[in-house]
Amino acid sequence: MKLPPVRVLLVEDNEHDVRLLRELLRNEHGPSVHITQIDRMSNIASHLAAGETDVVLLDLGLPDAQGPEAVRQAHAVAPTVPIVIMTGLDDESLATQVLKEGAQDYLVKGQLDAAGLMRAIRHAIRRQRTQVEADVIRGLQLQLRDEFLSDVSHELRSPLTAIYQFVTILADDLSGPTTPAQQEHLDIILRNVEQLRGMIDDILDAGRAEGGRLSVAPECTSLADVIGYTATTLQGAARDKHITLSFDVPSDLPTAYADPKRLRQVLIILLDNAIKFTPANGVVMIRTCVHPIDPRMLLVEVEDSGCGIALDSTEKIFDRLYRVASTSDEGRRGLGLGLFICRELVTQQGGRIWVTSDPGKGSVFSFTLPRFSLTRMITPMLQGSHTPVALVSVAIDSERGTVVDETWQHWTRETRAAVRSCLSVDAELLLPEMGAAQRNECAFVLTTAVDGEMDALSARIRSELDGLDPLRKAGLSCSVSASVLDLGEAADGASNDERIESVSQRITERIAVGIQRSRPS
Amino acid sequence: MKKKKILVIDDDPTIRQGYQIRLKANGYDPYFAVDAISGFTEARRQMPDLIILDLGLPAGDGFLVMERLKAATYLALIPVLVVSARDRLATKQKAIKAGATAFLQKPVDNAVLLAYIRKILDEPVVEKVALG
Repeated sequence: MKLPPVRVLLVEDNEHDVRLLRELLRNEHGPSVHITQIDRMSNIASHLAAGETDVVLLDLGLPDAQGPEAVRQAHAVAPTVPIVIMTGLDDESLATQVLKEGAQDYLVKGQLDAAGLMRAIRHAIRRQRTQVEADVIRGLQLQLRDEFLSDVSHELRSPLTAIYQFVTILADDLSGPTTPAQQEHLDIILRNVEQLRGMIDDILDAGRAEGGRLSVAPECTSLADVIGYTATTLQGAARDKHITLSFDVPSDLPTAYADPKRLRQVLIILLDNAIKFTPANGVVMIRTCVHPIDPRMLLVEVEDSGCGIALDSTEKIFDRLYRVASTSDEGRRGLGLGLFICRELVTQQGGRIWVTSDPGKGSVFSFTLPRFSLTRMITPMLQGSHTPVALVSVAIDSERGTVVDETWQHWTRETRAAVRSCLSVDAELLLPEMGAAQRNECAFVLTTAVDGEMDALSARIRSELDGLDPLRKAGLSCSVSASVLDLGEAADGASNDERIESVSQRITERIAVGIQRSRPS
Repeated sequence: MKKKKILVIDDDPTIRQGYQIRLKANGYDPYFAVDAISGFTEARRQMPDLIILDLGLPAGDGFLVMERLKAATYLALIPVLVVSARDRLATKQKAIKAGATAFLQKPVDNAVLLAYIRKILDEPVVEKVALG
């Protein structure tokens, strides 16, 4: 059988070396070799794009790319094509480096005969093919596993729904009165239903975390709100075990740039663990502060007076499926996914999580989150663009003057939701409330101020808010106003960073004025 | 006051029975359908104030039901609350896009379910529940 020719792309600028290699590869007995030669890295993309290359022979001393960088560039262009290095340098550490960058082999010029070179090329092609196949198989496996997990959780949730429905029907006496003992037993079932539901969510999240596909949507978040909510949720479980659960959030703590739902999830896992591993009459405490060393971060600590964690486990407990050997029944419950999910969620929000422990006395789980910064939030929208920007603000007006009561927050939320639904992707940014819940202006949108985009957005918001009947019924109306942000001298000749900083400052000033004007006197 | 009609479209008989007891106990008038086709027919016959819709249904899925509802002028305005065991992350946006008023994942807390129903029907919300 005649083997198909091996198509070699030779990237080499030295004429002498090119001739030598052509000579070596003139194969009399084996498969024939087709050589295409180029002398610059900048030409490699167009040759590889044609998909007619079986192997790249790469010199490391090209005029426009040298050493490991040359490999990185070539590998980036066509990750599936094997790269064999041909160099004059017999350097073991360089060889290790280029192999790490994705090269299949490292050959020293002048050390190889024709047969050896051909063998090296054939093996490189085969190894690369095996790797590519393995990658494809792994991708397929991950996809299959995702589908499987998604199907399994779907199938588990249906019977769980029926169990929940009928346990609560019994517990709410909808099918006849129950005795106090029966109520207690139904409560036990309900707690376990809750736990099962949590596990199903964890399985899905852990699967996503492994593929780096956990979604987080950071926004300007008040830690006091999230911690307060979470602590209230778990207060019952703590009380059942006679554990004191308390939290301390300084009133002047800056807001965090975090996903409130995911943050709640992290805190629930940590608090649930703390309560689980703390004996009766113990203490669980949540503390927060600005990070003492890095003031751009906030620090959250969950401290318990539980059994503690052996020193050699403090790293491993964040691994998937790792579970501390436990003597208590409670400690053995769960899947060992919680802390793994915590670590992934905290990391994805730009923070870090760790634990310090005093075995027998208790543990402190600590994690950091970035502080909210308006500049950081608006940077993606403004980066690289020099279009002027405008601020569209929405205010709720009341016929009876400013009434800031409990319902006010409700209307603020409704209005913000309506405004959010008017935004188009990328071009418009709903700014956070930035700590001012009590004022007329409840929503600010940053938009580009060209081609009537600002007016179009204002019109969209107006028509959406006009449709909010309940708002009108409550005797309230909304007004929308837009203003182009005056950047003054910063507009000309200013660097991008300065421009963004200036926009950020203008917005902060603008919002501060709004707050002052409507602050109840 | 006349009881509000709620049409539940779900293929699981146990879950339908659960809805029946819970909805009746809270003063609603529930009707039921078991698949996409009868779901649409029943919606036309009963003209409910609200539809609670499961997504995995025989004879076409919940999306088909929404598509048909939205195409019929006189049914298009009936609010649809999707309650499904499907993964929230993957399904919520798709359901909202298809015309659902809200998406809830099974098993859904009774208090949350009732709060959503009251909110959609524009009734005063009795219990304080975080609507996400």
